[in-house]
Amino acid sequence: MIGIIMFGVCLAMLLWGFPVAFTFGGVALVFGLIAEGPELFAFMPFRIMSVMQNTVMMAIPLFIFMGVVLQRTRLAEQLLTSMGRLFGGLPGGLAISTILVGALLAASTGVVGASVVAMGLISLPVMLAHNYDKRLSCGTICASGTLGQIVPPSIILIILGDVLGLPVGDLFKAAVIPGLVLVGLYIAYILVLTRLKPQTAPAMPDDSGLSRKQEIVSALIAIIPPLALIVIVLGSIFTGIATPTESSALGGVGALVLAIAYRQFSFRMIWESARDTVKVTAMVFAILIGATAFSMVFSYTGGDYLLEEWMLALPGEKWGFLILSMLVILVLGFFIDFVEISFIVVPILAPIAELLGINMLWFAILIAMNLQTSFLTPPFGFSLFYLKGVSPPNVKTTDIYKGVIPFIGLQALVLILIFIFPEWFGMSATSGY
Amino acid sequence: QERFTLRLAETWGPNFPIFGDTTKNMARMAEEMSDGRLRIRIDSSNKHKAPFGVFDMVKAGQYDLGHSASYYWKGKVPNTLFFTSMPFGMTALEQYAWFYYGDGMELMQEVYEPHNMLSFPGGNTGIQMGGWFRDEINSLEDLQGLKMRIPGFAGEVFAEVGVNPTNIAPGELYTALERGTIDATEWVGPALDLRLGFQQIADYYYTGWHEPATELQFLVNQDTWEKLPDDLREILRIAMRTAAYDMLVQSMHENARAWASIKQEHPNIEVRTFPDDVIQAMFDANRKLLAEAAERDDLAQRIVESQEAYLDNARAYTEISDRAYLNTMAELE
Amino acid sequence: MRWIVKLDNGLARLSNICGWIACVALILMLFNVFYDVITRYVFNDVSIGMQEMEWHLYSVVFLLGIPYALRTDGHVRVDVFYQGRSDRFKAIINLAGALAFVIPFAALIATYGYSFTVESYNLGESSGDPGGLPYRWIIKSVIPLSAFFIATSGLGMVTYALRVLAGEQSYHDENSKEGLA
Ligand code: NA
Ligand code: NA
Repeated sequence: MIGIIMFGVCLAMLLWGFPVAFTFGGVALVFGLIAEGPELFAFMPFRIMSVMQNTVMMAIPLFIFMGVVLQRTRLAEQLLTSMGRLFGGLPGGLAISTILVGALLAASTGVVGASVVAMGLISLPVMLAHNYDKRLSCGTICASGTLGQIVPPSIILIILGDVLGLPVGDLFKAAVIPGLVLVGLYIAYILVLTRLKPQTAPAMPDDSGLSRKQEIVSALIAIIPPLALIVIVLGSIFTGIATPTESSALGGVGALVLAIAYRQFSFRMIWESARDTVKVTAMVFAILIGATAFSMVFSYTGGDYLLEEWMLALPGEKWGFLILSMLVILVLGFFIDFVEISFIVVPILAPIAELLGINMLWFAILIAMNLQTSFLTPPFGFSLFYLKGVSPPNVKTTDIYKGVIPFIGLQALVLILIFIFPEWFGMSATSGY
Repeated sequence: QERFTLRLAETWGPNFPIFGDTTKNMARMAEEMSDGRLRIRIDSSNKHKAPFGVFDMVKAGQYDLGHSASYYWKGKVPNTLFFTSMPFGMTALEQYAWFYYGDGMELMQEVYEPHNMLSFPGGNTGIQMGGWFRDEINSLEDLQGLKMRIPGFAGEVFAEVGVNPTNIAPGELYTALERGTIDATEWVGPALDLRLGFQQIADYYYTGWHEPATELQFLVNQDTWEKLPDDLREILRIAMRTAAYDMLVQSMHENARAWASIKQEHPNIEVRTFPDDVIQAMFDANRKLLAEAAERDDLAQRIVESQEAYLDNARAYTEISDRAYLNTMAELE
Repeated sequence: MRWIVKLDNGLARLSNICGWIACVALILMLFNVFYDVITRYVFNDVSIGMQEMEWHLYSVVFLLGIPYALRTDGHVRVDVFYQGRSDRFKAIINLAGALAFVIPFAALIATYGYSFTVESYNLGESSGDPGGLPYRWIIKSVIPLSAFFIATSGLGMVTYALRVLAGEQSYHDENSKEGLA
């Protein structure tokens, strides 16, 4: 029960505006001291150590560095505005470009934070400078940054593979179509929205004096170098030159090479990029450490047993079980992070699902889709905090909260489609695939 | 009568097959045999978040019990290395005999005592497979510069014969092997390897040499042990020993089942044994490293000598019993 | 008031030193990973020591980055009540939060992180992998160090808030973040 009260208190404390990371940590401290005494916090060095040794997360600072360098050298702006120009007089070009770049980044990292922050750095300033609606910009960035969670490689899928005993390769393959459908729906949404409300995403102004053909050519030329960088990052993974984590270092060094090529390079630029990167990285990891303290107190005061009890109370009939378990995961996703859900809740659901003859691969993809949504759902969706952390002060937390709502709706739609028409996504609902 | 609730930290995640069954099995037996006076609450790595902090946490009394593997602590206490499995060492049966009837338990206690802990055998995986290779190994030449994920002492042996041991985060292992970032990886045996899907991306499955009998361990905090009354101590001891034996049996069962399914679904998988010159070179490298370890430390020397003497003696009997029988059966076809 | 200003400037300097070290670690880490990829792919050579150096540096980046970001207001806030309020309101929030949350939280981690490090030092702990790095206590010591500097940065939040309350500083100066740097 302490766990539940703790969530309420934490939510109330967050509103006052004290840094999120330390509000998590501080609330955990108070409840931990009351319930268990100071010795509970002797576990903290071990938990911090496990973050330190989680080498997959190295991708976060490295991708952020790449994003910062691309932003500082204005290459990111060049990439996005040129892509936007290709859409000619059509509104929404920048948003669609952002989604496409986000999808490419998603294919090269599976780490929460890395892609959202990189996308926030790269495209938020550009969209705002071109008079895009704040909410639409934030929603687009959060959603396309979070794509990294479903498009393989992905941490969620690796964890689910481990928990459900499914080969990671099968999961990766099964997630490709749902990921692409999501990208397609985001783009379709932008197209529809800009048809209805063109002022939310104005078309790029004409490049003065150029014919349409010249404009396209110059845009294509401008896109090539930064796009090549992303292709190198992806290519290094596909050819086995680097692991996904390491590929982010190739991206960082590649961005520096581009900066040299464009005569934007200076040691001052590197140093300032490093400083920005350290600041944003610290913001992300402070949240992770605050959250690990929070989940430590939550589970050591019996929160995990409480969750187990709830899960075991789910109905034992196939469709009722599926619908309710998805709803429960969705609701839990508002409050606790996906790792906890994967490890506490999923192991309880899995044997029941197996017993009911549900195809575990399909079940895993449903859960992955559902957990991906949890990054976007207010109040505790990590993507929202990360984007807020890199956005200018005139972007309010509430802008971000409201901006992601349509995208959450689109994700729910895909979840429901996979649920009802698994065969559209190359899966079947019953076991024995 | 006083009741005790002991907290156990395991290195594995929740519901980890076989390993996780062993702790649950042990806890269940202890509780039932003691009529509820001894309860054991298991925390998996998702809860304590410190899979490789089990040693420290049990030592400091943050947990009463631990379930892990002794060789994980090699970087902290070098002599813990010897109590899991050694390359070219004893088989599970031989090693259990050494633990329970030879000097094994005593020597292990000597290693753990200064750290305020007791260590007990905690279940055996049986012989581990030599690993998944993308290409066939035909000679020592093929091992030169081969990039393989193989941690710990076995990695040192491999390094001696020219392999490049490589660190890969477990989460990226599949992708790394699939794309050829590494050429090979070892894991455990069919039952656990199947979950990672290596059979989909590597054609050669090599037979084992480096961990012929991987024994896990139960760690018990010394103060916890002392505060238990005699009967509960005995119950705990029996529960641990029975659960350990059960794990060996379960490993046999699960591995056989998984292997049958791999053979059926991936007929392309070729089982290979390293060629003689490779095995000989690794054997010599292993000898050399053990001699170096023995030279550095008196206790290490005694352990190595005890294991070698026991192996010689036990193996002579294994030759005329198990080996002879399997040979006889092999000729039947 | 004068000694508070002095103390505040001193604490700011500490946080900035942390940030400086974290920046150096970041750049080293970038080239460390790059070097490891190139040597493995081009020269077919792997050093586990160099691979472990990657996470050592990465840990320094975020552990020492956190106190730096505290001073430079880099940590994300929910701005529902906070933004647009008076300096006085912000100072009170920061003062209370630093005293109730940041400093005690960091102090506990520093205490337990210290024994965590000492244990590693006493064991002479090193990597268990072939060619891995020795002296594990050094990287473990960054945990209590980081916690210590988080506490001093927390104290810096207090002194800065006092300066703001005295009307001598405001939250719109160098201390506040306008987008990025
Ligand atoms: Na991804
Ligand atoms: Na193994």
